[in-house]
Amino acid sequence: MNAIAHVSPVVATSADPALPPAISLRKLNKYYGAFHALRDVDFEVANSEIVVLCGPSGSGKSSLIRCINHLEQHDSGTVHVNGMELTRKAADVARVRRQLGMVFQGFNLFPHMTVLANCTFALRLALHMTTPQAEGVAREYLAKVNVLDQAEKFPAELSGGQQQRVAIARALCLQPSVMLFDEPTSALDPESVGSVLRIMEDLAATGITMVCVTHEMGFARRVAHRCVFMEKGEIVEQAPTDQFFRKPTSSRLQRFLKQVL
Amino acid sequence: MPLMGFVQQIGTGALVTIQVAVLAYLLALLIGTLFALATLKRRLVVNIAWQTYASIFTGVPSLLVAFLFYYAGSGIISSVLSLAGLNVTIDISPFMAAVAALGMVYGAYLADLIRSAIQNVPPGQFEATKVLLIPRPAAWVLVILPQVLRLALPGMTNMWIVVLKDTALISLIGLKEIMAYAKLASGVTKEPFIYYLLASAFFLGMTALTYFVSQRIEQWTRRGYRPVAVKGPAHAL
Repeated sequence: MNAIAHVSPVVATSADPALPPAISLRKLNKYYGAFHALRDVDFEVANSEIVVLCGPSGSGKSSLIRCINHLEQHDSGTVHVNGMELTRKAADVARVRRQLGMVFQGFNLFPHMTVLANCTFALRLALHMTTPQAEGVAREYLAKVNVLDQAEKFPAELSGGQQQRVAIARALCLQPSVMLFDEPTSALDPESVGSVLRIMEDLAATGITMVCVTHEMGFARRVAHRCVFMEKGEIVEQAPTDQFFRKPTSSRLQRFLKQVL
Repeated sequence: MPLMGFVQQIGTGALVTIQVAVLAYLLALLIGTLFALATLKRRLVVNIAWQTYASIFTGVPSLLVAFLFYYAGSGIISSVLSLAGLNVTIDISPFMAAVAALGMVYGAYLADLIRSAIQNVPPGQFEATKVLLIPRPAAWVLVILPQVLRLALPGMTNMWIVVLKDTALISLIGLKEIMAYAKLASGVTKEPFIYYLLASAFFLGMTALTYFVSQRIEQWTRRGYRPVAVKGPAHAL
């Protein structure tokens, strides 16, 4: 297997107790109008930890990770990433986002740019690399997700699985210390799902911190250190993966697992 | 046979027509873009200003707007300036009135077109630029604008042709453009057919050129897009 050797990220990813947790949410609340999407959520992710969030749709999983990178603004509570508080100030938002990579359900590649240009775009504009430098980094990550041979094509010319792998490479190019995945395989055909999950497993082996919203319970079992079950905006149960699947304590999780497994 | 002197005059008129149309269209693009961006979010004051603007300039025929600007524009501008304590009179030429009238009328139409194009760019595109830390101006120019262009271009091309053809009306405020010279030549030579035909040929030629250029731009903005289906939208019929 081609293991993804992660180039030294912005902060160390070892589980050093002296380091602040990679992600720490305290008493987080989020409303969409009258709808209470997140209710007093407390959530912590240690460095190098792989956490899978699962639960029925509308349970707040996506809202939770979108609050971490400020795609949604939380209404109360605090968000810390690597010890940095996420406030409404643009500078704080940028500092926190610098730590995070995000992979979306719908890929969100830029359709009018080639695969290579998609990957070099942020390197050139946000990190001010020269084009040759940026292309060097981009090709390295495209090779790691097995799409280097498609570098000159446009996203629409690729399969869904290839597009999602490009999206992963594009996020990795910025060398984040935490990767957030928002249902990365939900829009894919079964064949492509496997190719994306394999890349995610390779990535997990590099020691990067990962938070994944996914319905792929097989992936959760194989890769996650800890699984979190959410329902109606609350974390109902969380446990180390083995215990989560073998001995769920809450009746709601037991019912959920019976349905999905 | 048309007389060369008149043909030359019609040529000069054609140049004026192009100048008016291009300047009016640029003004319309500017006004349209500003209103489109300002009305993306619901804001009461901006919305009232926009509703007022749109109902006036889409409601009143463009020829009437040109008449108003030409005959009353100078008075309106000096009274506005006198409020600011300035005592100057600015003469409004037919050229200025024509550009302002067409620009402001078609700006109102372009604003709707551009706003709906922006709203049809998937929200995920904006989110991707945010999480990739792309500075906002670069995100708008390099990510959103090309996609807005792709969506708005057919409508923008049509609007340009309408602006171009509307300049023919403006001869009525005394602008010496192609219609004015064609009319003059027909009156003098008593051969209206030939000179009006020449003017028509000019407009046809400009329209053909427009479609040629817009197809090139469209090909560029469509780079990376696949047709919806092999047969195109016709498969739904």
